[in-house]
Amino acid sequence: MARIQLTINDREHDLLIGAHDMLSTVIRENAGLKGTKVGCSQGSCGACTVLVNDEPVLACITPAMRCHQARITTIEGLALQGTPHLLQQKFVEKGAIQCGFCTPGMVLTALHHVEQAHDNSVEGIKEALSGNLCRCTGYKKIIEAVAEYAQEVASGNAVPTAEVAEGMVGTARPYLEAARKAQGTATYADDLAPANALHVRFLRSPHPHARILRIDKSAALALPGVRYVATGEELPTPFGVLPISQDETAMAIGKTRYIGEIVAAVAADTEAIANKACSLVQVDYEPIRSFLTMDDSLADTGEHEKIHAHTRGTNNVHKKAELRFGDQAKGLAEAEVVSRMDFTMEGVNHGFTEPHAASAYWDENGLTVTTATQVTHYLHRALAKVLELPLHRVRVIKPTVGGGFGGKSDPFPHEMIVAHLARRTGRPTRTCLSREEVFLTNHGRHPSRMTIQLGADRDGTLKVLDADIVIDGGAYGSFGVVTSYYNGVLLQAPYKLDNFGFVTRRVYTNKPQSGAMRGHGAVNSRFAVESLIDDISHRIGMDPVEMRMKNFLDANTLTVGQYRITSNGSRESIQTVARSSGWGDRRGHLPYGRGLGVGCGFFISGSALPIIRNDLPQSTVHLKVDFDGRVLITSGANDIGQGSDTMLAIIVGEVLGIDMERLFVLGADTLLTPVDLGSYSSRVTFMAGNAAKDAAEQLRAAIADAVAARHDVPQAELVFAGARVHSNDRRVDLSWEEAIEALTAGRGAVSVSGKYISPKLGGDFKGAGAGLSPSYSFGACVAEVEVDPRTGHVKVMDVWGAHDCGKALNPMAVEGQLEGSWHMGIGQALSEEMRYHEGLLVNNNFLDYRIPTTLDTPTIHTHIIETMDPEGPFGAKECGEGALHPVIPAIANAIYDAVGVRVTKLPIHAEHVLALIKAKAAQNEPIPQMP
Amino acid sequence: MNTHTDSLYLRPLTAHEAVRMAGEHLNDHRYLAGGTDLLVNRFQGNDATPCLIDLSGIEALHQVTVTDQWLRIGALVRLNDLMTDPAVHAEFPGLQVAAHAVGSPMIRRTATLGGNLLCENRCSFYNQSEWWRDAVGRCLKCDGDICIATGGRKACFSKLSSDTAPMLIALDAQLEVAVPGDMITMPVRDLYTGDGMAPFALPPAALVQAVMLPLGRGFRTAFRKLRRREAVDFSSLTTAVSVDAAGKVRIVVGAVDPGPVVVEGTAADNRADLIRKAFKKARVIDNDTFPRTYRKEMITVFLERCFAEIDATTNN
Repeated sequence: MARIQLTINDREHDLLIGAHDMLSTVIRENAGLKGTKVGCSQGSCGACTVLVNDEPVLACITPAMRCHQARITTIEGLALQGTPHLLQQKFVEKGAIQCGFCTPGMVLTALHHVEQAHDNSVEGIKEALSGNLCRCTGYKKIIEAVAEYAQEVASGNAVPTAEVAEGMVGTARPYLEAARKAQGTATYADDLAPANALHVRFLRSPHPHARILRIDKSAALALPGVRYVATGEELPTPFGVLPISQDETAMAIGKTRYIGEIVAAVAADTEAIANKACSLVQVDYEPIRSFLTMDDSLADTGEHEKIHAHTRGTNNVHKKAELRFGDQAKGLAEAEVVSRMDFTMEGVNHGFTEPHAASAYWDENGLTVTTATQVTHYLHRALAKVLELPLHRVRVIKPTVGGGFGGKSDPFPHEMIVAHLARRTGRPTRTCLSREEVFLTNHGRHPSRMTIQLGADRDGTLKVLDADIVIDGGAYGSFGVVTSYYNGVLLQAPYKLDNFGFVTRRVYTNKPQSGAMRGHGAVNSRFAVESLIDDISHRIGMDPVEMRMKNFLDANTLTVGQYRITSNGSRESIQTVARSSGWGDRRGHLPYGRGLGVGCGFFISGSALPIIRNDLPQSTVHLKVDFDGRVLITSGANDIGQGSDTMLAIIVGEVLGIDMERLFVLGADTLLTPVDLGSYSSRVTFMAGNAAKDAAEQLRAAIADAVAARHDVPQAELVFAGARVHSNDRRVDLSWEEAIEALTAGRGAVSVSGKYISPKLGGDFKGAGAGLSPSYSFGACVAEVEVDPRTGHVKVMDVWGAHDCGKALNPMAVEGQLEGSWHMGIGQALSEEMRYHEGLLVNNNFLDYRIPTTLDTPTIHTHIIETMDPEGPFGAKECGEGALHPVIPAIANAIYDAVGVRVTKLPIHAEHVLALIKAKAAQNEPIPQMP
Repeated sequence: MNTHTDSLYLRPLTAHEAVRMAGEHLNDHRYLAGGTDLLVNRFQGNDATPCLIDLSGIEALHQVTVTDQWLRIGALVRLNDLMTDPAVHAEFPGLQVAAHAVGSPMIRRTATLGGNLLCENRCSFYNQSEWWRDAVGRCLKCDGDICIATGGRKACFSKLSSDTAPMLIALDAQLEVAVPGDMITMPVRDLYTGDGMAPFALPPAALVQAVMLPLGRGFRTAFRKLRRREAVDFSSLTTAVSVDAAGKVRIVVGAVDPGPVVVEGTAADNRADLIRKAFKKARVIDNDTFPRTYRKEMITVFLERCFAEIDATTNN
């Protein structure tokens, strides 16, 4: 141990620490300041940035001892007497904060940059922030916030906090909790670890497919400080997010199915002891034949053991999903032009900046688990099942969550294990996964390959689409059955198609499992189809925008697979991006090496069917109002940084005519909040939003009833606005508090319950339920790229995006979702992939898994398209996932425009592009010289 | 695991003291400069040396000074400071370009020139957690028997990872090295063994104190770095080319071989031949995000572009 004196945020600390402890550990664990976040532990993400003697450093790779007697400023130290620093205010006002996990580091880095009077142009700010990764915002609003702050500092004219305009729906406003996130006081799962908690660490399999012959825990148990060592047979009940894929156990039993699977878990007094104990657990394995590729798993296994005994065939195919409408063979024969291509896409990971973290304790109320999750409800059920508890003895609490993107939408082994170990030891438990473990846990987008045929007539009319798809599910089911369908079914729009069919086979492989990720299921196949459309448009000499315009489905129509399309902003979206990008004048006229491409998208706005078939509404929202006039909104919906708590408040405030000050949202605590199915399938705005609207309308009716009775005025004449309830003629004109007094008189606090149940939709055939949604979103992107023909390097210069979100309840939040989606798509398009070596994930960290930095992110031009969905709350529908779809094909198609090569692999690596350019040159004309 | 009991963290105030401390912990010490490389390797379990000697408190190692013949850059000068130093800018702007190519602004504010020169060689199969390296079967560089990246060769091809080294070698820089009881100088080029297992040729306890750049040679330089992202990433190929006033040409290629690939010539030589020599010398293997063949191919492209850049500055 070593003694160290630190002055942190003007407070002196005299601490005993490990001589080699990192500053981030000392700040969080010894000084107890949890605003400093740890995203990667190896200096690649910037979340842990703090100021040491006024200079930003990466606290996770700064030895604390180096800072002896230094002055340290963490995010908590910026606010002065409770007033946030102006830069923090700018982050809030500009919507530069979504999940908030990167925010403390981002703010401190930016502050130093501006104070040093460095180059405060957009380029200068991008450069300065290029070591701080953000996965939510696409950096656009962060850069705007910093630029505005810099400008005000430079002009000596600090502008006071901009007031949010009046009104609720349609008014841009920061998230309710944005100020807390900016100041580092929002608490994430690992920040809430209970006092006296044991640290839980995991022993993971080094074999992709191996029998477990023997586990010897004795050496681990003998280590002082070790309290328990658990192995698989203690938690034998399988689980999985889908009822049809209950194929995973908390720890491996009998055999392991991927490198990284948990084989044993240790609870110990410290993390170091727990880690050491894991290394002392002796496991004897007998490796058996592993299946690492899609081809391995499609083939007959012969005498070899399958990955899962329950699969039907003699191979490792998990699910075959197939639907056919019309006659594809006939369509292909009749189409005047057919384009057929093979595509391959590597797997990608969500890359949320907050690692999985969870804690658990048991008391007179049973089990309580606090965890970074998108699906408290499904986790509630899974914990009850695996731990063999009645549902009423399980409570799941979602704290502030640092991003999810689908990656926190399954129940996870570590959540089961911390609960189990807390029970066994009688102590609270905690765990926070390393970034490597986050990548091994995965559930990211499926690696895919597909052959797709698209046929059209020479006038551009699409006639037929046939897709043959294989997706690599990894070792377990996760959302895979849904993914299998989504890969195909979501191709039946936004274009009218009479002959449409697909088959998807999802295979199990001995790799970390794939699951749901932003744009679930349809991202890869959308890229493929939009590339084929581009190809056909070039072959028939038609503008790709025009060709799409010709084929879009109309509003209020049915697709061939009986999706009910209501609002539809496809045409407006593509016309908007064509206009703003100068498409008409520039496309096809740019010099060699520079190109423009377009793509479109289509996505569900909430799955119309619940995952677990039952008669509960898909979302229930409770409102409670008591004598103080504050309306408490409780909802099981999981705000994971996408702003759903704020969305609920906006809707309730709009209906009741009250402002944010009178609203309080309590989200996603299974004891306190009514069930919402969770944050997946882009369902929350539509479903929880409608439930909130229903509840608010009930509360308004109750208030109107009470006011009408007391003041003798017809209910229909009452107006709720400006925190007043008044009659049209103002004869009755009550403050909100007076109205609530009328409501609660003789009755006390009033609670109402609103709900959303999706209408009955879809056809009668098997598989008709896949992709059904009460509404669908549409969008388009144009991308401009520069391709270096000698290296194949692709640089995206600009992205123009438009997305039909029905109605932007909160335009600032909608823009943030869109910009984040496009940014994530750019990552998948160009730099992100999960690379394996014999089943072992090679790039399991933020250095080698390459999320685009500020410098890799182009200028983004954001356009919100509003079509007023007839069933969405105030016309709203999804905006958090669908926007990702068009950007990848837009980039690929721009590459075609730039250098004439068709990219069919993701990510689009320089080496692939170069090979294509050379192959093309070998075939015909020489490569033009770059100017 | 940090057991805390045997961990030592020493903070010498002079280079002399540092070398003495190293002598006292001859086989179990590490000098710690910025630490942006070493501490990540320690996090991953690639280094568990119990005694860390933090050099950051040695004031003398932070100076940039100009003498008649040399620009002397203290080994602890941070890359970020190098990028803004007026003397460096006046004499060796190419070095600033190379420094700027390292990591991210966050890294460059901590990472030092000396540390970057001694950045441990990298490989996809080495820069991994202990668990991972166990799972893959441990390569030569971490106590295994064979190189996994090459599928079984008995040599380590982990790549040189310094971006500043190729430029400093191109600039004919020398190192000032403190060793117990003495001070030696050596060309930067001689720092590198070309052996991925033990990439640095330094005597025990030796401390790189400064980099000495020769003044008055009239260098024109060009620098390029191949990476997927425009920040954060380590190099997949670094090229530095210099031509001095006397027409001496030096090509240095990094990140494609365990050591720097150096080709020397004169302005009169056929450039394509010089480039071909560099191409042939580079022992590139598949241990990086870019495939071997591509990195190899890009050596030529990058070097041609470096020469074109130098020509352009000449013509201006």
